[in-house]
Amino acid sequence: MRKQYILILLAAALIMLMPSCKKTTVYKALIITGQSGHNRETSSEAVKQILDETGMFSCVISGFTPDFSKYKLVVLDYGGDMWSEEVNADLMDYVNNGGGIVIFNSKSDPGAAIPDSVTVSERHSFEVWTAVTDHPVTKGLPLRWLHPDDEIVQGLKPAGEDVQVLAVAFSDTSFSGTGRMEPVLVARNYGKGRIFATLIGSPDEKENLALHCAGLIVTLQRGAEWAATGNVTQEVPFDFPTAAGAVLRPDFKRMTLEEAFKNIANYDIKKSTKYFTFIQDQLRKAAGDEKTLSDLEKKMVDVLKTREASDDAKKLLLRELSWMGSDYCIPAIKALSSDPDLQDDVEFALTRLQK
Amino acid sequence: MSHKTSRRIFIKRSAVAAAGVFIMPAIIPSSALGMGGKRPPSDRIVIGAIGTGSQGMSNMRDFLDLKDAVQYVAVCDVDSLHLAEAKNTVDSANKNSDCRTYNDFREFLEKEKLDAVSIALPDHWHGIIYTEAINKKINVYGEKPICRTIKDGQIIVAAVKKNNIIWQTGSWQRSQAHFHRGAELAINGRVGKINYIEVGLPDGGRGIGTPPVMEVPAELNWEMWLGPAPKVPYRGVSHWDWRWILDYSGGQLTDWAGHHIDIANWGAGLEHTGPVEISGKGVYPSEGIYNVPVEYDFLCKYENGIEMRVANASRFKMGMGTTWYGDLGWIHTDRGNRLDASDPKILEEVIGENEIHLYKSENHWQNFVDSVRNGTQAIAPIEPAYRAISVALLGEIAMTTGQTIYWDPVSEEIKGNEMAGRLLSRPYRRPWSLPTV
Repeated sequence: MRKQYILILLAAALIMLMPSCKKTTVYKALIITGQSGHNRETSSEAVKQILDETGMFSCVISGFTPDFSKYKLVVLDYGGDMWSEEVNADLMDYVNNGGGIVIFNSKSDPGAAIPDSVTVSERHSFEVWTAVTDHPVTKGLPLRWLHPDDEIVQGLKPAGEDVQVLAVAFSDTSFSGTGRMEPVLVARNYGKGRIFATLIGSPDEKENLALHCAGLIVTLQRGAEWAATGNVTQEVPFDFPTAAGAVLRPDFKRMTLEEAFKNIANYDIKKSTKYFTFIQDQLRKAAGDEKTLSDLEKKMVDVLKTREASDDAKKLLLRELSWMGSDYCIPAIKALSSDPDLQDDVEFALTRLQK
Repeated sequence: MSHKTSRRIFIKRSAVAAAGVFIMPAIIPSSALGMGGKRPPSDRIVIGAIGTGSQGMSNMRDFLDLKDAVQYVAVCDVDSLHLAEAKNTVDSANKNSDCRTYNDFREFLEKEKLDAVSIALPDHWHGIIYTEAINKKINVYGEKPICRTIKDGQIIVAAVKKNNIIWQTGSWQRSQAHFHRGAELAINGRVGKINYIEVGLPDGGRGIGTPPVMEVPAELNWEMWLGPAPKVPYRGVSHWDWRWILDYSGGQLTDWAGHHIDIANWGAGLEHTGPVEISGKGVYPSEGIYNVPVEYDFLCKYENGIEMRVANASRFKMGMGTTWYGDLGWIHTDRGNRLDASDPKILEEVIGENEIHLYKSENHWQNFVDSVRNGTQAIAPIEPAYRAISVALLGEIAMTTGQTIYWDPVSEEIKGNEMAGRLLSRPYRRPWSLPTV
C-alpha cells in the first residue's frame, strides 16, 4: 500500500438521469476516494454508478482540494492516511451547515486512524437485521436480509449525540467473528446536516458480489438521499433481498416495467423468476388504482397474445389475471383454451373470473 | 353443545369391533382382549390415518402414547415409504400385521369403518379430504390450518355442523396449562378491557431457489400429491418445502395461525367472529419458487374496537406468541411454558366461580378420544379453527392486493371489492372439485 497521502477527488460533468415522467431534483455529489485496505477504484466506480442510477445525484470526480460547500452530498469511500486538521475541520463545518455525508465501507471516522480494536471477519454471507424500523432510510425494508460474500467490520462502536445504529449483523465466530452483533448501517444527525455510514460493500476483485447486492445498493441510495435531504422518497424495490435469499444486480440497475414485460415473454423459471415477481410487485403497488391496473392488464394481455411467449409466462400471467383481470382480458384468455398445455390454467382463470 | 348422533355411531361401531373378538380370538393380540388392566377394544376408538408424513406420524405417536385409547386399523398416504413406516408403527403397537394400507383416500374412506380419522396433509388437500371424511360421519382429528382458502373452510365448517361429528383441530396449544391460563386471565379482564393484541409468528427462513425438475421418486404418486393444485413438474418439494409455495400453503403465517392467532382469539372472545377491516404488507422473495411472504405485518380491526396485529416475530418486542393488551396491562404467552404479565401479580389472580372458565384439557389427543367416546365437544372445535385461519387468509388477501379489505364476519364475504373477493377461493384442477355438504 502506498504510504503517501492521496486524496483523489472524483469530478465529472452533471449527468442527468432523470426518469422521463418524474421531475426529480438532481443533487451534486462528491465522491472522495483514496488508498486503503480495499480497492477503492472498484468500489468508488460502483458507488458512483449506484448513486447516479437514482437519478437524484450526479457524482463528481475531481483532482483538486475539495470545496465541500459546492456539494449537497459528500461520499467518502476512503480509508487510509489521516487527513490534515484543516480538511477535517472543513468537512465538519460542511455537515454542521447542512451538508450530507455518506461514509462507505470504512473502518474509522473520515480521515482518522483505524482504532486497534477494529477487525474484519472472514468473507461470508450473512443476514443483516434492521434494528430501527422508523428511520427514513430503513422504513419499509425487510427486517432480515441476506447479504452475500462480504466482510463484517467488527469493533466499531458508534457513539455520540443523535447516533442511531439502523442495522446490525451477527458476526459468527466460525468466520473469525466476534460472536457479537456488529453495526452495519449507521445514521447521525449532526448540526444542520446528516451523516450516513454503510459498513458493508467490500470488493474482492473477483465477482464483487458484496457490491452487487441489491440490499447494499438500495440502502446506499436511500442513505444518500437521506443524508442529502433528510427524507427518503425512493420506494422499496421488489428485489430488496429477504431472509429467503440474497439478490444481486449485475449492472447495479433497478428493473423497469419495460424491461420486465420485454423479458417475461421468455420467462424460464430455471433462469430467473424476477421479471414475474416484479410484475406481481407492481400489481400490489397499484393497490386498487384502476388506471394503473388496467395499464398493467393490457401489457399482460399482450403477452398472452404473443405466439412466441413461453407457456410458463402465460401460466403465471393467467394466475394474476384470475384475480385482477377485467372484461378486457377475457377474449385473450379464451383464445388460449384450445392449447392443451394451457387448458388447466385457462380454466383456473375463467373460473375465478366467473366467466 | 352435545353430539348425541356421534355417540350413537361410536357405540354401534364398537359393537361391531367387539363381535370380532369372539369370532377370531386366536389372532387378537392380548392387548385387544383387555388383559393386564388394559382397556378392552370395545372401548377403544377405531382410528385410521390419512397423511403419514412427519406431522401425521407425530400425531400417531401421540395417540398411541395414550395406551389403549385407540386402535389403528388403516393408514393412507401417497408416499409408499411413509405408508410402510406408518404400517410398521401400527403393527408393532397392535402386535400383529393387520394394518391395512391405501394410496388413495377415496378407497380408504369407502372401505374403512372408523370411529375417527387423524388427517395431516398439505393444506391444498384439506378442503376435499376433510369434507369427504366428515360426510362419511367419521370423527376427525385434523391438522391446522384447516383450509387453504376461506371458501374451503366454509364448506368444512358446514360439513361438521351438518354431520354432527366430533372435530378436534391440531391446535394443541389449547391443551397446555399456561396457554389456557393466559387466555383465561385475558378473557376475565385481568388486564382490563382488551383493546389490542399482538400475534408474533415465525419469520420466513432461507429460500430454496428453483430446484431442478427431477424424476419423481418411485415411492411417490406425484399426480395424487398435487391433486386439485395446478399441475407442475416435480421439484422435490413434496415433503417439507411445499410450505413455501402458495399453491399449497401460505407459509409460516398460515402454518402458525392455528396456534397463536387461535390462542389470541380464545382469550379475547373472538373465536366465533372475524375482523371487519384488514390491511398490511408482505415481503416476498424476488427469486425462486418460494413465493409465500417471507415477512408479513397486518392489522385487523374488529367490530368491538379490538385491534389485532399479526406479524413475523422479529417485528415485535415480545417476539413469538400472543400478547393481549388491556387498559390495565398486558399478558404474553408463548411456547416453552412462557406466561408473563405487565405485573406478576396478574398471574396469581384467582378466577372466581361465576367468571368465565375456559374449556380445560391436559392432553390434546386424549381430549379428542374422550370427546369421541362421550359425544361431547372437543377443546379445539371447527369454528374457532376456521376463524383463526381466516384472519391469516384475509391478511394474505390484503397483502396480495395491496389494499385494505373490508370483511363481514357474519355473512363471511368481502365487501365492495370484487377482485379481493375472487381470492376467497382457489379453483381446483380437474377432475377435483370441492365436495358439497
